[in-house]
Amino acid sequence: MYNLYFKIAIRYLLKNKLYSVINILGLAIGVASFILIMVYVNYENDYDKFAGSENVYRVYMDYKKGDQFVPGDAQTYNVTGPTFQKEFPEVLDFTRFYRLEKTTLKIENKIIEETNGNLADPSYFEIFNQTLLKGDITTALVEPNSIVLTETVAKKLFGNENPIGKTISVFWGSQVLATIKGVMQDIPKNTHFKINYLLSFETIQTWDEFEGQKKPDWSRNNYFTYLKIDKNADISLLQKKITESNFEDDPDERHNIEPIEDIHLYSNKPYEAELNGSVVRVKFLTAIAFIILILSWLNYINLSTTKSLERAKEIGIRKVAGAQKQQLIIQLLLESMILNMIAIIMAIVLAIIILPLYNSFTGKALTFELASLANILPILGFILLGMMLAGLYPAILLSNYSPSKALKGKIKTSANGLNIRKGLIITQFLATIVLLIGTIVVTKQINYIQKQPIGSDLNDIVAIHGEILNKKSDSLLIQDFTTLSNEMRKLSMVKDVTTTQTYPGDGYDNLSSFMEITHPDGTKEGNVTYYFYIAESNYFDLMDIEFLAGNTFLPNSKINDRNLVINEKFAKEIGIPNPKESINQKVKFWDVEWNIIGVIKNYHHFGLKTPMQPVMIRYGKIRNNLLVKLDPEVASTIGYQSSLSQLQHVWEEVFPQSTFNYTFINKKFQAQYEEDTKFSEAFKIFTALAIFIAALGLFGLTSYTCIQRKKEIGIRKVNGASIFKILKLLNIDFIKWVGVAFIIAVPIAWYAMNSWLENFAVKTNLSWWVFILAGIMALGITLLTVSWQSFMAANGNPVDALRNE
Amino acid sequence: MLLNLKNISKWVQSGGQKVFLLKDINFWVNEGDFISIMGPSGSGKSTLLNVIGMLDDFNEGEYSFLDESVHTLKEKHRANLYKQYVGFVFQAYHLIDELTVKENLEMPLLYKKHSASERKSLVGDMLDRFNIVGKKDLFPAQLSGGQQQLVGVARALIASPKLILADEPTGNLNSKQGEEIMEIFTQLNKEGVTIIQVTHSEKNMAYGSRVINLLDGSIV
Repeated sequence: MYNLYFKIAIRYLLKNKLYSVINILGLAIGVASFILIMVYVNYENDYDKFAGSENVYRVYMDYKKGDQFVPGDAQTYNVTGPTFQKEFPEVLDFTRFYRLEKTTLKIENKIIEETNGNLADPSYFEIFNQTLLKGDITTALVEPNSIVLTETVAKKLFGNENPIGKTISVFWGSQVLATIKGVMQDIPKNTHFKINYLLSFETIQTWDEFEGQKKPDWSRNNYFTYLKIDKNADISLLQKKITESNFEDDPDERHNIEPIEDIHLYSNKPYEAELNGSVVRVKFLTAIAFIILILSWLNYINLSTTKSLERAKEIGIRKVAGAQKQQLIIQLLLESMILNMIAIIMAIVLAIIILPLYNSFTGKALTFELASLANILPILGFILLGMMLAGLYPAILLSNYSPSKALKGKIKTSANGLNIRKGLIITQFLATIVLLIGTIVVTKQINYIQKQPIGSDLNDIVAIHGEILNKKSDSLLIQDFTTLSNEMRKLSMVKDVTTTQTYPGDGYDNLSSFMEITHPDGTKEGNVTYYFYIAESNYFDLMDIEFLAGNTFLPNSKINDRNLVINEKFAKEIGIPNPKESINQKVKFWDVEWNIIGVIKNYHHFGLKTPMQPVMIRYGKIRNNLLVKLDPEVASTIGYQSSLSQLQHVWEEVFPQSTFNYTFINKKFQAQYEEDTKFSEAFKIFTALAIFIAALGLFGLTSYTCIQRKKEIGIRKVNGASIFKILKLLNIDFIKWVGVAFIIAVPIAWYAMNSWLENFAVKTNLSWWVFILAGIMALGITLLTVSWQSFMAANGNPVDALRNE
Repeated sequence: MLLNLKNISKWVQSGGQKVFLLKDINFWVNEGDFISIMGPSGSGKSTLLNVIGMLDDFNEGEYSFLDESVHTLKEKHRANLYKQYVGFVFQAYHLIDELTVKENLEMPLLYKKHSASERKSLVGDMLDRFNIVGKKDLFPAQLSGGQQQLVGVARALIASPKLILADEPTGNLNSKQGEEIMEIFTQLNKEGVTIIQVTHSEKNMAYGSRVINLLDGSIV
């Protein structure tokens, strides 16, 4: 019997090719989109999940803002960990990291550059559930000058050789020698704390780069601290104890903890280990995934209900032949299962084919491995359940037909049935309009951000950074940088050269900060984080940063040492809103009095997601970054690539033993929005797919209405109605439904997009035209979809329509 | 007595008025009868046939089929009753387009408790009896109207019903094909199958043993 059901189902699908293709395609696209989005969502949700991760917490700093504490810094003091372990019995263990952002590793003649080196405590392996592939895990990070490489880094340096026991040079400002004590597995890609190698924390004691930080104290919070907490501990109690403790004796700050599993999606503090994800984005994508899937089901229900009219006869015959309702429902469900299964298989194949492309788009390493399959199972379960429900409605509807009427072809669906379909189609419109509004807003915001003046001209500026392997970081090296700058200025495409600690878009990586300050009027204050960096006199000119008052440092003058250039926001924070009045005012921090010589216009140092911060620049020659402003005309004539090689050539002449890296700083600035740009692209693609699916459903409904109203159309035409009148008659309902959907969609979309925009410090308006445009687009797409069929119906010969009666 | 209709009435409400489709029908059928129902369009012939076949409800009266009172039965029992005893033949054949001749014949057996081998032999018998073995793997669209109706009759017979209800069985056929079908009915009737046919044609009426004339829902 099931054999026969199967056979007839296949024959039916083959006979109605267009219908089958539309239906399967709609479902397959819906399911494939759903799977792909959910795999991504799972990946994001699975950040930092490992055995025991639920008991691992990160310590961070809250800073006082007004009379409230707000998250202020992802990094803590070097004594935070040891103190907590001693003071709080719930804290079983801790590990600290000191991040070495950009480093160079050298062994014999092999030099590689490696990011994300870290000084770490030996407890790292246990807390983060990591194992060593080679070496002794209990001793690998105990002694100073010990290093553990990840498998990938070890391969890069040694190929298949055993690296254990070899000595390697690590350059980070200055050089340190370390013995390789272990090789660890590469850490998972979805972890917020990336590690390429670990130096033992004790190396701080032997490395002169850490002069002044060797003694544990409460002076600098440059360390990440992670705690392993007793699984039976009362977390909220511990958190209370931690926030109320004040070991560092500073009323303007406090320690706090957060679960490591929450960091990637929920944490966005200054000095994060990396740019984290965003839970809002994940939620939006999840919503889109469900919308698309549900749309494809609604579409399926619409189409199969439409088609069921044609099957009324068959159902009648079967009933007359003695089929019972349940038997028919089973048959029809089986058919819908077959169709859905084909769609699901297609969707999975589609998803697997698209995955590499999708990965290069998302920049993630998503897989359909067995391990992640466990995560997909609930998703598949959900799909199957939905599929059953989607099949059930048409099945019940069909099996309810009275046989005598079905055989006469007199099936009229009840008002109820029509209402259900109306509801379905309005839901489709609703989802479509919400997605359209979302797409427009996201695109508008991304464009807005990209066009936003950042207060500085980042174009054609190359930031050059390299490790000088044979020289100490001292005043002689600074002298070399002056030589280098002068040599580079001689190149035809170079407009100017300067050295600086950091630049807009570089994030927090190279930026310093402090909180305790004495205002010009003598008020002491410690509530605000003030950021600062070191730059040369010509920095502002090169970056095209405008002065509101005063001027830059005098070139090559000793007087500069206690001079400051501040931004508007800084001036405001220290109580002098008028820039002109702040010139020659004195502020005090680090027990030193500083003289304000210039006020610059606010520029977005941290990108447009972060509100404006008080920033000051003090004078100095520094080797972190060499900024070269290119003359775009000359550079494009001789080619950017050869311009860069000429720069590299000069660099290598001055520093024969060195590495050379460059970044176009406008690209780096834009990179902050990479995820958002991708999100906007994804939004567009999935919205287009959703609209396509909805259009398929609409197409189905139109053919349904046209069949239903065939007689009515015939009669109207016989009585002289014009084609236009009939088109209007057929389409007016759709216009009404779009209208209803629009009214419901606007507040939903407004609320959703408003919450997305909250992510940005600089945001575009939710202008009224965004909503109107989405409504018009939805209406346009609708009319386009329904018009062809309505036209065919309106244009048909009324005799054909009336003959059946 | 095979079935008995007593004071059967069926109506629909239209504009607050009862419009009678069947009015006070009294009517009985013995086993082995061959009855023709005649009457003009709209006189209620098909409705009466559907009521007899238990495909349609009625509003008033009593209907007993093999001493079971149909009007008191639940839908499921009613379905079981006609499944067991009644076969239908339609003017438009009503074969399932997606099934072959063989599968169309087999279809009613699927809804009764027959094993696969039983089904196979019953279908084989039918194909033999109607001389359509060569057509067994064709689809309805590949057959002539007469052949389709042959399959229709074969399908009605396959579960060995006591009663065949035929709604203008020759209405879509030419005269030669029509005669063939009527010959088959005559033959079946001789074998003891009760037949009730709705017809317009005097010629077909002549095959029957008894005629019921309907006008405006009443027997005249």
